[in-house]
Amino acid sequence: MNFVRRLKPSSREASLALILIVAVGGTGLINPRFLTGDGTRDLFTSTSVVALLAIGIAPIVIMRHIDLSISSTVGLTAWVVADFCAKNPDFTWVQCFIIGPVIGIAVGVINGLLVAGLRLPSLVVTLGTLYIVRGVVYVVSNSVDYNAQEMPPSLLDLGQKVFFGIMPLTFLLVIIAMLLMGFFMKYTKAGRDAYAIGSNPPAADLVGIKVFRRTFLAFVFSGFMAGLAGVFYLMRFAQVDSTAFYGQELAVVAAVVIGGVTIMGGSGTVVGAVIGALLVQTIQGGLAALGVDAFWKAAVNGLLLIIAIYADRVLAVRSEKSLLAQRIKERV
Amino acid sequence: MSKFLKLSSLPRSWDTAILGLLAMVLILASTTTEGFLTSLNFSYIFSNTSEITIMAFAMTFLIITGEIDLSIASILALGSSMLGWSYQKGAPIWLAIIICLVVGTVCGFINGFLVTKVGLGSLAVTIGTLALYRGIANGILGENTVNEFPEAYTSFGFDTFGTSFMPKTMPLIIFFGLVFGFLLHRTPFGRRTLAIGQSPEAARFAGINVVRHKIIVFTFTGFMSGVAGVIYTFRFSTAQADNGVGLELLVISAILLGGVSIFGGVGTMWGVVAGVLLAGSVESWLTLREINAQWRTIVTGILLLISVAAPVLVAKGKERREHKALKS
Repeated sequence: MNFVRRLKPSSREASLALILIVAVGGTGLINPRFLTGDGTRDLFTSTSVVALLAIGIAPIVIMRHIDLSISSTVGLTAWVVADFCAKNPDFTWVQCFIIGPVIGIAVGVINGLLVAGLRLPSLVVTLGTLYIVRGVVYVVSNSVDYNAQEMPPSLLDLGQKVFFGIMPLTFLLVIIAMLLMGFFMKYTKAGRDAYAIGSNPPAADLVGIKVFRRTFLAFVFSGFMAGLAGVFYLMRFAQVDSTAFYGQELAVVAAVVIGGVTIMGGSGTVVGAVIGALLVQTIQGGLAALGVDAFWKAAVNGLLLIIAIYADRVLAVRSEKSLLAQRIKERV
Repeated sequence: MSKFLKLSSLPRSWDTAILGLLAMVLILASTTTEGFLTSLNFSYIFSNTSEITIMAFAMTFLIITGEIDLSIASILALGSSMLGWSYQKGAPIWLAIIICLVVGTVCGFINGFLVTKVGLGSLAVTIGTLALYRGIANGILGENTVNEFPEAYTSFGFDTFGTSFMPKTMPLIIFFGLVFGFLLHRTPFGRRTLAIGQSPEAARFAGINVVRHKIIVFTFTGFMSGVAGVIYTFRFSTAQADNGVGLELLVISAILLGGVSIFGGVGTMWGVVAGVLLAGSVESWLTLREINAQWRTIVTGILLLISVAAPVLVAKGKERREHKALKS
């Protein structure tokens, strides 16, 4: 699988990008506003939080793990950052961008210790921390909400900032993060190790890859990104309550899997994950443009996810077969 | 004989530890909290855990085979919504109930088909169907709720027999418990379930039809979620799309608490019952101590973490002791 991918490095991403263009074009036909600068900007703005989280959990999924606690972490950081800002009116965006990631990293460290340290299944651990972190939000928030007037104007200004009429600052940051992380996963030893761990965890251990350290750091990174996403959440919505971003973890997992990161680990890219996030958002927008009831949104998300997993499976079986055929040919 | 063997190995395993833990919680709660050791409170505990217990019976098989189904609460909601929707459209109540059960069974079969025949991972698939089934429920009922059900049925949902602690749903639960307990521990089907969990490959080579077996288990998990859907609908006397949100986690944590290994191949039905009762008792205790609902979310999470960490830690400790014994 990996071998094939290295031969044709961007085939999956290219086809995804094509689907994305078709989806955007199709939606544009129904609702021309979708294709305008405003429509593009809206798409980018509404995708940035999910895309950031997708970049965060892509390495974890590549390692054959999962992090479901991210949405709770987003809720926690968004609320706590807003709380800090409300109590310290002289705070600017700088403090927000420090506090948010620190909280996220703290959650990531806990996940990492439980998953990598005790070797517990990440699914169950992060389900547990999903509950605990959300519970902590409920308890600390005590039903207090925050609105735009309690937040630093400098932070909200950043959230409104748009370059060239179509590129919001938040999405520009997402692209930068995507490029950095894409480079990291492709060209550094740690990045390649992640693929090795996901392809075959026991083998990765046997060949001397530091599985504990890599897994632990992947969870810390995901926590960091979730913390950042919490700040992005504030920049976009300018208000927060204890249920902020509740239940959105599945949307992120769907984006990542649709973006070609195999849930069984070992393959996929960060670029694909971001395209996946854009695709999910586009399809949602497209359905709204088609006049489909918002109530069907979750059903469509679920269906998309199943189709993506199915496509993944078909591709995996096909490449396995072609590899096998190739090997037989070489033998003969 | 087998029973005797099991008894002799009892003190070391996690599912006996859970019995001790349950006893401890019950004693602590009864002595420190007024109103805990009353028949009324126990009727609450039993009826509050009824859907969880029903789904846990079937789900235990699924986890033992090494699979998982995260969509059970969504199946419950879809079944419940279909029940309410069809009843509202004028179907007689017995037909609405059958529709709910059929919907559950079909949903379970779809999960099983996707996992075994198509060959997709159960975790990923059921995350997908979790969203899909609840999404369909949402699409059907929207924000509507149906809450005009015949009184005889809603009374079945939340009343007890006379003034006793027995909810009316209790005989049904005991019946299912006996059936599934017998199925797991006393039939070839149960042995096959455990064998598949230990090693699917070996089970296949031993002549077990793993694909068919897993489809059956997924299907009756769906069916039991439908049963839970019926009970849930009548207990709260409402059918709506967000019925039972997040219940799947409670079911999974109760099962894991009961000593079923998340890696498959290990588990007992009485352990699961103890796990459910432990979770229910802790919940009831917290409620009686007037610890607010927000803390209970945290407690659920911690219980889930304990349930998955404790068996691993116990096994590690045991290994270390054996290692030491070998050395000396």
